[in-house]
Amino acid sequence: MSHDSHHAPVACKTELAPERSDLGLIRPDRTTGWTDWLTTVDHKKIGILYGAFAMFYFLVGGVEALAIRTQLIRPENDFVTARMYNQLFTMHGTTMIFLGVMPLSAAFFNFLVPLQIGARDVAFPRLNAFSLWTFVFGAFVLNASWFFEFAHLAGWLNSFDWHKALVYTDFAPANGWFSYAPLSGTFGQNGQALRFTGVGTDFWIIGIQVLGIASLAASFNFICTIINMRAKGMTMMRLPVFTWMTLITAILIILAFPAITVALIELMFDRAFGANFFNPSAGGQPVLWQHLFWIFGHPEVYILVLPAMGIVSEILPTFSGKALFGYPIIVFSGAVIGFLGFAVWSHHMFTTGLGPVPTAAFALLTMAIAVPTGVKIFNWLGTIWGGRVRFTPPMVLALGFIWMFMCGGFSGVMHSAAPADSQQQDSYFVIAHFHYVLLGGVLLGLMAGLYFWFPKIFGRMPNAPVAYIASGMVILGFNLAFGPMHYLGLAGMPRRTHTYQAGNGWENWNFIATIGAYILGAGVFIAFVNLFWTAFKGKKCASDPWGGRTLEWSLPSPVPEYNFAQAPIVATRDAYFEDRHGGKRIAYENDGGEAGVHMPSQSWMPLVASAGFLFAGFGMPMMAMGVPHAGWIVITGLGVLILGIWLWAVEGPGGYMLKTPAAAGSPAPVETAAH
Amino acid sequence: MFSRFFSRVGLLAAPFLALIMAGCSKAEMTVRQSTLDPKGPVAKMQYDVFMDTVWLVVVLFILVGGLLVYAVIKFRARPGDEDAPRIEEGHGNPLVEIGLITASIGALVIIAIPTLSAIWYTDDVPVESVPTSKLSAWYPRLEGAKENYAKVVEEQVLEIDVIGKQWWFRFEYPQLGLTNDAKRSVPNEFVIPKGKAVRINLRSEDVIHSFWIPKLAGKVDLMPGRKNHMWIQGDEVGHYYGQCAEFCGDSHAYMRFRVEVVEPAEFAKWVQKQKTDAGAVVASPKAEKGKALFAAKTCSMCHNISGHYGAGAFAPDLTHVASRKSLAGAWLDNRDPKAQLAKEQQTQNTESSVEVDKEVLRANLKKWIGSSGVATGADGKPTKDVKPGNRMHFYKMFNVAGLTETQQKFTADELDCLAEYLLTLK
Repeated sequence: MSHDSHHAPVACKTELAPERSDLGLIRPDRTTGWTDWLTTVDHKKIGILYGAFAMFYFLVGGVEALAIRTQLIRPENDFVTARMYNQLFTMHGTTMIFLGVMPLSAAFFNFLVPLQIGARDVAFPRLNAFSLWTFVFGAFVLNASWFFEFAHLAGWLNSFDWHKALVYTDFAPANGWFSYAPLSGTFGQNGQALRFTGVGTDFWIIGIQVLGIASLAASFNFICTIINMRAKGMTMMRLPVFTWMTLITAILIILAFPAITVALIELMFDRAFGANFFNPSAGGQPVLWQHLFWIFGHPEVYILVLPAMGIVSEILPTFSGKALFGYPIIVFSGAVIGFLGFAVWSHHMFTTGLGPVPTAAFALLTMAIAVPTGVKIFNWLGTIWGGRVRFTPPMVLALGFIWMFMCGGFSGVMHSAAPADSQQQDSYFVIAHFHYVLLGGVLLGLMAGLYFWFPKIFGRMPNAPVAYIASGMVILGFNLAFGPMHYLGLAGMPRRTHTYQAGNGWENWNFIATIGAYILGAGVFIAFVNLFWTAFKGKKCASDPWGGRTLEWSLPSPVPEYNFAQAPIVATRDAYFEDRHGGKRIAYENDGGEAGVHMPSQSWMPLVASAGFLFAGFGMPMMAMGVPHAGWIVITGLGVLILGIWLWAVEGPGGYMLKTPAAAGSPAPVETAAH
Repeated sequence: MFSRFFSRVGLLAAPFLALIMAGCSKAEMTVRQSTLDPKGPVAKMQYDVFMDTVWLVVVLFILVGGLLVYAVIKFRARPGDEDAPRIEEGHGNPLVEIGLITASIGALVIIAIPTLSAIWYTDDVPVESVPTSKLSAWYPRLEGAKENYAKVVEEQVLEIDVIGKQWWFRFEYPQLGLTNDAKRSVPNEFVIPKGKAVRINLRSEDVIHSFWIPKLAGKVDLMPGRKNHMWIQGDEVGHYYGQCAEFCGDSHAYMRFRVEVVEPAEFAKWVQKQKTDAGAVVASPKAEKGKALFAAKTCSMCHNISGHYGAGAFAPDLTHVASRKSLAGAWLDNRDPKAQLAKEQQTQNTESSVEVDKEVLRANLKKWIGSSGVATGADGKPTKDVKPGNRMHFYKMFNVAGLTETQQKFTADELDCLAEYLLTLK
């Protein structure tokens, strides 16, 4: 275990002497370009990769959404077939939740949490890389179902014997993101495992399973990081609110994902091995799937929304020139939301025949969760109150977040009244409700975060007029698309129907909704192009362009590899703002400088281990298709996974020393970290 | 300054306001599946709870939204702020916080009370509705007929069993002898007496479906392996539209149904009619040929036609197919669409209905039978399934030896004959 001694501190990692790991392989520490990105353990680069993949999948999910809306633009349209429509809405929901919002939140966790708590990296840098690549491969497996589907539709698979033997030929999942058994499961007795759907469901099961592993690994990492790696003086009640929400989200993930993991394993066993967990004809209980799914699925909603709430809680004080109103209440209400989030799952099941007593209990608990949510809105209002509101793209988006989220919250309160909900459940009213929460709320919040922190991430300022135009289009298009859906739901239009008949009075509003969706899609696209352009060509800006409040703004932009040249010691909440304007300065520890900062070594092993999931993820559905020898692909995948983890364990942690500028807070540009 | 701001806001808001106003017209509120036009006590109760939440939310929206808009305008940065002294850093006000939390809880109690009472009310036929809804209290004994129900059920309310399948609903009236076992079940459309509480028993034979007639009651799911129930009551005569509300596979959108609310005397006649067998086919040689084809093309293996073919129990009962206003899971409408539209406009009522149009029905029958599961139609072109994945020609899913995909193909003449035959089944 020889690392530090091998390396004298260097100014830039490319100056390092080649070093072999305990396996005898050269460590990829000195690399640049592609190799560097594939082997990186730097939380900032991992955050950027998470963000890039998430934005790509936002566009994929957006295209799916526009195809859905195009199909519904007029009655009895045949833009897509019934099955294709079902696949589109399934993949739209799954993509937006697991491949769009969650990884974009993870991008913020990765980039910001160490900076906000004054740390130099996350607790387990290689595990962090493993989370990233596992997410990437899980997303790949899930979307690979589309390639099989299109190959099937194009007729490329027709000549295979296994293809001729298939009963169902849907290759992309068509169960909805909730995949209710027994539609997703099996029927019949004696372990026949007869199915209602094709291998698309198997792709979905394994894809979500792999994505869950990525989320769990990342969550353990962030809990350890936030608890253990805070700078001196950074007590829990001095944590920036975004970091607090990250912590709560991570705890929610590790408590919620086991439920879906169990459910997915049971469903997989039903389908692949003839188990009978959800098979009613063999005594299984379809309602069990719903309980397991929603005790994951409801906390999942808060997993999606709490990070956006954290982002908004950072942006509002910055542009109101005023500390967050009621910091402790905001933090505690976040925790209460997280806690109550586990107590309301059955409000997704009001129509399943729970009986009056459980229905009443879950209705009351659902009303109760409106209280901490309302408290957050009151406190954001209190933050603006008496401040000096500066309008910038992030602030406009954050205000949009509050407004849309408030509307979504109101329709949520309507749902909590179970008798009224029995009319709204599975109608377009629900679609309107959760898009106000997840799109008007979460997406606007995340976009606000992107515009807010892009100058920190890339040292470049997004073009404000373009940002305003894009934001305006998003807000206008969003309301045009989803506002009318409240009416459509109340007018009796059910969800997940690929078409509808003329004469029900739904034609005009569907047309308007589709036009709104096009405007919304164009707005999001313009915003993403604006951000993409900014990352490479945007105008360079100062390290603190907004008048930020938390520690990340004390660093140069882009942030150097080691984050803090000297570790900070904080004495108050909003440490950087207080440092400049208040009485309490940030002190710095006497480290870094010529002696250097210890950096973790880069490694191929997280990528190798994750790649095992790619093989296993392809192998399982191919087994279900009946492709000969596909089982060996699964075994190979598990072998690669185990091998990767084993090599990772024995290669040794490595590490090297990087010199930092001597005096903390000095404006010396740190070119070594520029990517 | 302010007026300019508000005029801008007004300009932005105008289209939305116009949309909302347009949306509030009576016609928009009373569309076929509107939940805002309740025609029975269950839907009414649900509507009332909904309106309670609406009023609460509107008040909160004006308060909170108004404060937000006010705060953003009032506390916006102004030129010269840069030189002003820094705002005092505050960290909240416990009294304000506690006050707001208490107020929120109070607001929720306002809707919690009607919610709780409505949960119990909508769960099962309320005790006070039972006396007038008991079978013995209203269901007439037809002249010359024996008892229409067993002694033990006399004091019960009418029960209807709803069986969900991919992708149609079957209805049975066990107390009145209209069951699948007795070869008397009713697919797609069922009939209830006006003003009588009816208990609905919900069963599924494959996946989860959901039973929803927006004007009569909110939905309850049909869960395989579980016995769910609900109750409905129609207070106005009319033709009501329902739809499966739980995603149930490829053709979920096509899984619709209807319910006819009729006067109690009409109801008795309807029941009596359901108990009659199909008569001898005397219409034409074409119909005779169609009857033979019904067996030759294996239709009779699944479809029951009492009096003609009695082997089928799996598929919709066709004994009275020509009397029904819809076909194929109530997706195809057997009424003349123009006449129907005219009638709805004339009566200002989407529940009014014209009678079955024979030619529309004939076209629907040919379209439905001719396309289902058949790769190429009579014209040699690929067919578009009326209900993709439907079981009519898709035995593959049963995975039973001998029952492979039959891919039945029909010539134009065969379709004509089959339709002619089915049209005789009134």
